[in-house]
Amino acid sequence: MNSVCAKVFSILAVVPSFLVGTAAASLRVVTTTSDLAALAREVGGDRVDVRSICTGREDPHMVQGKPSFILAARDADLWIRVGLDLELGWEPVVLEGARNPRILPGRAGHLDAGALIQPLDVPTEPVSRDQGDVHPSGNPHYWIDPWNGRVVAGGIAERFAQLDPTGADQYAVRLADFQRRLDERMFGASLLERLSGDEAWAALHAGELDTRAAAVGVPLGGWYAAMRPVRGQRILTYHRSWTYFAQRFGLEIVGEIEPKPGIPPSAAWLDSLGDRARAAGVRLILQEPFYSDRAARRLAERIGAAVVVAPISVGAEPEAADYLSLLDTIVARLTSTTR
Amino acid sequence: MHPFRWLVFAAVAITMLEVHAQPPERRDPRWATWSSRTSAFNPDISAILDVFYHHDDTDDGIADRLGELPGFRAHHDDHGDGHSHGQTPRQGFNLRHIELVVSAAVDPYAKGMVNVAITEDAAELEEAWFETLSLPFGLKLKGGKFYSDMGYINPQHPHQWDFADQPLVYRLLLGEHGLNDAGVQLSWLAPTSWYLLLGVEAFQGTLDAFSYHGEDPLPKHDAPRIGVGWLKLGPPLEGPHGVQLGVFGVLGRQQEEHDGDADGEPDHWLDGDSAIWGVDAVYKYDAPHPYGAGDWVLQGEYARRDRSLDLVAHDLRTDLVGRALDTAQDGYYVQAVYGVLSRWRVGVRWEQVGLTNRDDLPTGDRERRNASWKASGMVDFTPSEFSRFRVQISRGRYELDDGSEDATELYLQAIFSIGAHGAHKF
Repeated sequence: MNSVCAKVFSILAVVPSFLVGTAAASLRVVTTTSDLAALAREVGGDRVDVRSICTGREDPHMVQGKPSFILAARDADLWIRVGLDLELGWEPVVLEGARNPRILPGRAGHLDAGALIQPLDVPTEPVSRDQGDVHPSGNPHYWIDPWNGRVVAGGIAERFAQLDPTGADQYAVRLADFQRRLDERMFGASLLERLSGDEAWAALHAGELDTRAAAVGVPLGGWYAAMRPVRGQRILTYHRSWTYFAQRFGLEIVGEIEPKPGIPPSAAWLDSLGDRARAAGVRLILQEPFYSDRAARRLAERIGAAVVVAPISVGAEPEAADYLSLLDTIVARLTSTTR
Repeated sequence: MHPFRWLVFAAVAITMLEVHAQPPERRDPRWATWSSRTSAFNPDISAILDVFYHHDDTDDGIADRLGELPGFRAHHDDHGDGHSHGQTPRQGFNLRHIELVVSAAVDPYAKGMVNVAITEDAAELEEAWFETLSLPFGLKLKGGKFYSDMGYINPQHPHQWDFADQPLVYRLLLGEHGLNDAGVQLSWLAPTSWYLLLGVEAFQGTLDAFSYHGEDPLPKHDAPRIGVGWLKLGPPLEGPHGVQLGVFGVLGRQQEEHDGDADGEPDHWLDGDSAIWGVDAVYKYDAPHPYGAGDWVLQGEYARRDRSLDLVAHDLRTDLVGRALDTAQDGYYVQAVYGVLSRWRVGVRWEQVGLTNRDDLPTGDRERRNASWKASGMVDFTPSEFSRFRVQISRGRYELDDGSEDATELYLQAIFSIGAHGAHKF
């Protein structure tokens, strides 16, 4: 035992000298989800090395704090999280286990993307766990609203520039390029020849996009135009994870297959939900791929609706390889089923 | 035991110097909380209720059987009456305890937690510790009263176990509460491509497993009286797989007083060391289904204890004074838990103790016994992240002084967590 102690101490004494010189050539970024990783890659390009804890195929609430995640966090210069309590069940284990003070909450190396956006579904009444797995700070599934993707990319670029000032110009150029591509996908290229992206978004937020487009005399394109036939539709979703997308594109969510967030449905619940959905004229049930679609299919058959399984995260399916193709995929699935 | 004391000095000195070297930072007001704005600046408070019904087919209860297991006999039962009091499980309803946990960041440099275990009779401090958040070089210092991070199950609280009861090898070598004591821990996450975490700990030494009396005729020894070292290793696996392997060693002072003629008064006293070493392994598979369906957890641990004691006094056999008592006992468990359906898990566990079970007595005699075994099966249902219900059946054969005895046990368990319950380690 004495000699073991002596050995441990000699190792402890020697190793720090190895570590002092490990300055990184580029920024090492670890994100909690694949969506944040996709945005960080858009902004950072080759200058940053991005790793994501989630692959997009799992439920980001229910991740295990594995040793390999601790290793990733140990070496990170920047940790980006979705926030709004999405990672509450495992992020503390990873961050505390990593012993990397740079990325602790409140430090420059910790970016809480949830603080950048305007949250929806913020409870207005006191919350309790009898409501299921509720998020007291708001719904964390904000990344599938392209506006939020645009905002978060901006926040990431700002933080990159702060941590790596020599790359600031590069990040700004890449951000502008990404936002330009996103805006074109959202509104169509021809509108953006007449309006700036900022003007188009401002018009959308003010509810004047259609009149503005008519005024400049160009047709609207992109996701906005593609979703037009679906606008106003009443839908059911599995988990409460489509709120932001539905609000952006004018879908009305009548209910969720989960009776409460995180609680799988019972037969009695599906019966009552079916009655409600039929009364509301629901023609569409939307759900993410990692839940079983059995309940959705049974319900759809009963009420004569279609089930659309669409990825909610980058990497959930091969088609959704980056942020823009994720939204392409969701829009294509929704619009192809509901003619 | 001097190295342990040096460890304490070194650890405190490192922390003071490093915290001194860090300038105070201006920071985000939301800093103090990991969790939601609802609890900003307030500590996270949670209570965990762990209740179960137990039945077994032994005459005096399984706790008594385990207390009588030769070679493993709990030392505090050696005072005379031979009966174990207040040990779980008892027949019928058991309120294991309620854990009342308060935790928060102390300041930018440390976080703290206090865990009070409330039983039906009393409240006791189960844990109260601080740990550093910002030491450089992958170092972390923890101090207070806490569970040693040796082994896989030792640092887990009972509500985290995948079975209602503790593995036999832990219960028999370390007692119902495992290795939990006042002390200090310094751990280091190595900058290697594999996960490599090394830890050394020094504890006061006030446990059943490392008993210390320090009263005449036994010699006094200064604390810390227990030293622990452990290593955890994890390959950098991508995807849904997670593996962690560990080795650990514990060395501590051990003093015993025995009542050889069963007259209710101790008549011989032993002083020496008790050493425990072991290995642990866990594999987890995170299936791409919600609510735990398809997930696997495979885990196993082996531990061996060697006691090396000298007879310092004997009222009845003065001729034996100065002679040695050397003992060796070991045990292992292996278990598998699988998510059969959303929120439903099934598990099996196999364990043996006393594969080595040998006492070399001061008289020159050698006692050897056979191994005991136990097999358990459980099914549990997890309605939400905050509650769990479990049914467990165990069947075991225990090698007692007067032959072997079979025992069947039933557990019906319910665990509830209220409040801001923290995340669990891998």
